[in-house]
Amino acid sequence: MKKILMTAMTMSISEVMETMFFMPVEIGPETILKDSGIDLDSALACRLKFTGDVNGHINIISPQPLAAVLASNFLGESQDDLTMEQQFGTLSEMLNMVCGNALKKVKCREPYKLDIPENIAVSDLNRTSECTVIETMESNMAMVLSV
Amino acid sequence: MSYSILIVDDSMPMRTVLKRSLAAAGYGSARIIEASNGNDALTVLAGDWVDLIVTDYNMPKMNGLSFLKEVKADELFKDIPVVVISTEGNDSKIEEFMNAGAAGYITKPFTPENLRDLIVSIIGEADYEEDIDDSDDDVDF
Repeated sequence: MKKILMTAMTMSISEVMETMFFMPVEIGPETILKDSGIDLDSALACRLKFTGDVNGHINIISPQPLAAVLASNFLGESQDDLTMEQQFGTLSEMLNMVCGNALKKVKCREPYKLDIPENIAVSDLNRTSECTVIETMESNMAMVLSV
Repeated sequence: MSYSILIVDDSMPMRTVLKRSLAAAGYGSARIIEASNGNDALTVLAGDWVDLIVTDYNMPKMNGLSFLKEVKADELFKDIPVVVISTEGNDSKIEEFMNAGAAGYITKPFTPENLRDLIVSIIGEADYEEDIDDSDDDVDF
């Protein structure tokens, strides 16, 4: 089930990134978070819990400069003018769209329900978690699915 | 005619995107009022008339469905069209919103064209000439 959900998430992130962030992505390899090439000490991370046939949560981890580019594209504002709240908010909204869009593609007995996305400290992440690397023209980010 | 549109979403970035999308869709001269959840939106409605409500579904305090039901149960507000925006686009959820009185439903991700087509079908065309002349914002969404 985890593999099905992750496949749906990776399909969804391509659609969301192109439509709302004008940024094509490639799905990179599965690896361990600490080996993803992302500078975790300066990264931003958000989590979204979901319930349904399977309960779990998905985390997205983005380097701060990439989060600034995403927020700039999403909000139409200069990167220099962006606050951290806007960058976290954009990342949260992206995760919300990716997860919601993905879960509606998955066959289930009961529709999945999404929680409210939350910002998390990177120090709360398990750095040995398996993650999927999402490659953009700017840099990489990572998705970690836990079920 | 300049419209008044109430945007209800707990995500500040999403409210910004909706405003930009409305401008890109031709409603740049609309008066936009913002609220971050259903409770706040009901407070806004108590003191201000709007022509259209665009609300998110997944919000803290009062979600979009509860808010929609409150609007439709109120004699004063029940005729205000409500568009629901959500990431959750399964058929049963859409049916639930439409049965509760939503005028339309749009799933994220969406383009300004998706939003425009839906809103035009509900409240009619915006005044494009006025919008283009009055808007200084970059609306190349």
